[in-house]
Amino acid sequence: MNDDLQPIDPSELAGIDPTGGLDELLIFGHPGTRRHFLKQVAGTSAAISLGPALMGIGSIEAAETDATSGGNASAAVTHVQLRINGRDHKLEIDPRTTLLDALREHLQLTGSKKGCDHGQCGACTVLVNGRRINSCLSLAVTHEGDEITTIEGLATGDELHPVQAAFLEHDGFQCGYCTPGQICSAVACISEGHARSDAEIREWMSGNLCRCGAYPNIVAAVKEAQSKTPAKAS
Amino acid sequence: MSATTLIGPARSRVDGRLKVTGAAKYSVEFEVPKCAYGWTVESNIAKGKITAIETKAAQAVPGVLAVLTHLNMPKFKEAPKKEGGGGGAGIRNEERFPLSDDGVYYAGQYVALVVAETIEQARHAASLVRVSYAPEEPLLTMEAAVRKADKPKKNNDTPVQINKGDVATALKDASLVKIEQTYITPTETHNPIEMSGTIAHWEDDQKLTLYDATQFVKGVQNILARSLGLELENVRIICPFVGGAFGCKGAVWMHVLLAAMGSKVAGVPVKMHVTRRNMFVGAGHRTPTRQTLSLAATKDGKLQAIQHVSETLTSPVGQFTESCGSRSTGVMYESPSIRVEETVYPVNVSTPTFMRAPGECPGTYALECAMDELAIALKMDPVALRLANHADNHPTKNVPFSAKHLREAYQLGAEKFGWSKRNPELRSMRDGDLLVGWGMATATYPAHKMSAAAKVILRADNSATVQCATHDLGTGAYTAFTQISSEQLGVPFEKVTFELGKSDFPFGPVAGGSNSTGTVGTAIHEAAVLLHKALAELAVKDSKSPLYNTKIEEIGMVAEGRIGIVTDQTKSDSYADILKRAGRDSIEVQSEQKPPEENKKQAFQSWGAHFCEVKIDPLLPRVQVTRVVSVMNCGRIVSAKTARSQIMGGVTMGIGMALTEETSYDPATGLPVIRNLADYHVPTNADVPEIDVSFVGEPDFAFNPIGARGMGEIGITGIAAAIANAVYHATGKRVRDLPITPDKLI
Ligand code: FES
Ligand code: FES
Repeated sequence: MNDDLQPIDPSELAGIDPTGGLDELLIFGHPGTRRHFLKQVAGTSAAISLGPALMGIGSIEAAETDATSGGNASAAVTHVQLRINGRDHKLEIDPRTTLLDALREHLQLTGSKKGCDHGQCGACTVLVNGRRINSCLSLAVTHEGDEITTIEGLATGDELHPVQAAFLEHDGFQCGYCTPGQICSAVACISEGHARSDAEIREWMSGNLCRCGAYPNIVAAVKEAQSKTPAKAS
Repeated sequence: MSATTLIGPARSRVDGRLKVTGAAKYSVEFEVPKCAYGWTVESNIAKGKITAIETKAAQAVPGVLAVLTHLNMPKFKEAPKKEGGGGGAGIRNEERFPLSDDGVYYAGQYVALVVAETIEQARHAASLVRVSYAPEEPLLTMEAAVRKADKPKKNNDTPVQINKGDVATALKDASLVKIEQTYITPTETHNPIEMSGTIAHWEDDQKLTLYDATQFVKGVQNILARSLGLELENVRIICPFVGGAFGCKGAVWMHVLLAAMGSKVAGVPVKMHVTRRNMFVGAGHRTPTRQTLSLAATKDGKLQAIQHVSETLTSPVGQFTESCGSRSTGVMYESPSIRVEETVYPVNVSTPTFMRAPGECPGTYALECAMDELAIALKMDPVALRLANHADNHPTKNVPFSAKHLREAYQLGAEKFGWSKRNPELRSMRDGDLLVGWGMATATYPAHKMSAAAKVILRADNSATVQCATHDLGTGAYTAFTQISSEQLGVPFEKVTFELGKSDFPFGPVAGGSNSTGTVGTAIHEAAVLLHKALAELAVKDSKSPLYNTKIEEIGMVAEGRIGIVTDQTKSDSYADILKRAGRDSIEVQSEQKPPEENKKQAFQSWGAHFCEVKIDPLLPRVQVTRVVSVMNCGRIVSAKTARSQIMGGVTMGIGMALTEETSYDPATGLPVIRNLADYHVPTNADVPEIDVSFVGEPDFAFNPIGARGMGEIGITGIAAAIANAVYHATGKRVRDLPITPDKLI
């Protein structure tokens, strides 16, 4: 049944930067939404073909099997309600839509960036229930009930979040395209308690690539923001 | 009033707030109603013909609006073949139009385009397109393509085959110390984090707007207008932010033409965001290079001969030459004899393009490693060898360099790094169990000048808007041009708005060749002169003005917001008063785009020195760069903070070049086997140490009125050599093919 699919390039299966700062992939979103997800995709073969994705393979393409086996299943839309930056959004989307594409293409929240669509660059990092995830690796329908925070939701009115202010002050970016992901990642990195030294920041921020090479300034910015954030009891 | 200090103020980016809040709109992020999505199908052979292409299944997918192949692709109008980047013509590295015939010229070539209502539909439908091929034997290596090899006389009007003095005789002279080595660099891919992308929106069948991620809005405008047979003013290109480019967004690549044509056929706006996978085939790369350096020097280290033979690749459907020898050896050291030879081989691989310091970057890698090898053969300190061969005059043009302060760069760099504490003995320095190596190299990049124009609108409230169709790739252009505008116009920094990235604005050249600061800065300067003249004309006719009846030529800017008599500054008038009394809300001037003035009496080139430390575990020889000191001499530094970031960025990319970056191809099929960011290792945060950047020298006013020679590219030159030299110092192993991965050190 899969002979219609282009073979997956093995080079794409290498998955995640092993030094990345992500605790786990959260492909299925919040654990509590897993059952819901499986219900939503039941009746297609997507659940089966998502097997490789569960193993950390950075390709959503596997999810497309549903349409090849199910005839015109690709026209199907599903309803999902997402809570983003404190506001609820009702969406009618293709069940294959990633959280990143839901944000960028359906909600015009283009602050979250697409830099690879494969979980390899971190540009799409958002916070889900306070944890950083690669939104390109996560299907939107799995996030019902989650509290999603994107770069657009960090500032309070005109007042920048301390991490945003520190990036601005330390020139922690150049083109700015990796920046929303870096900033969301840094917010989580600090709250995880992984920003206590330069070496630790370098390591735990290495899941976010910056081709412009702003790293030393990013380290300086995270360090400063960390020093302004009250320590969390662990 | 031009600023004469070396380094301008350290301001935060004026566009920074937009970037840290996610509000900055990059090209494919513009909201265009009813926008559909384009998805490509690529060839999986490197050479041959398409014999059949089956699109029914794709067409049957709900939401699919069009499937284009060479069988039904409308014809483009012909655009001229070879075009330079300096003028308004635009740049095409790949000269064949997409889907224009049944030929396959490289693996990864687009062979079909699907347009559908959603990304998911387009991607899925593209996976259903079946292509059959009659494959042919591809040419994939220099050896295979040897009969098609070309030795171009010139690259962008600059001669690239250089012959000065008698290299052959010097290389045979038994009294001289000689080295000869071959250095290899692999294919490198730019990989800006923003992938290329375009939204094509036809307002009617004669009017097209493109939101395109580009380094050259005016070039895209011209090429699209001519390719599609449209009036120039009916094609608008919009690009206020670029998410990194490094050269790969300078030319018009196939996806841009596909988006425009796909949109025309489908009858809806089309968005194409090139996949990361296709960034390795469809948006250029740095060609691999093979360079053989032969040096001969007297026993006290005076170079007598330098020969630099450089071989690179291009594709059968494009022309691009990476001029390694002429752009490094051709400018760097004094020597009575210099020979540069450059050969280009067309192979069945996608078309290369300029990548940060094209030519200079791989060229300085080879030359500066060879200099290190020569220093060791001579038992001479590497810095001393370079000082002994310092070129006061351009070594092949024989005119003096303007404002060259390379000696100071070596000196300051050595001091800051602590170079005098280096033990020249190999494997002699340790940090616990780790081997420590110290290496250095020279950096260089030419000062390019192109043409531009700027428009200035000054208002009675003392605010100003300045416009030019230039670009900010992350370079800090918004900030630097706001700074230059403020200085040149005499308007406070906070009251200047600088606008760029729209083809509606006056001409700006490609943001490449590190030319923008100087070129656009000069246009702003010229517009400021016009503005002051226009204000003077109002003032001298106004009996209430202290400048009433003064000769226009005597008037100039005397202070912020004021023009007056330059020799008698007691007589002056403010911009605001002049405009108010004339009953004007604003005044508008625009400078003229004209070919840049050539100064043939001097040569203009930027310089620098990198010093670096590496640490290597002898058991698992992974190289860690632990310290970098870079001292640059680039004329005036307009914007201190963003300039430092540019050098840091160049150094970081150089660390990747030295240690991890390589796009490799299957030698049998010519398909790239590295096509994602998990396999193509750009440096991560953990790979990059503190980078100590400083600037020396003086503003280079002989070059332009801003005094700036540009500095976007120089940071990456020389750094790979400095690292390779440090690795040799640490380990005693000379790796002459990049990247220096652990397997090469075991
Ligand atoms: S876009 Fe999600 S990790 Fe790159
Ligand atoms: S700022 Fe350009 S990729 Fe990080």
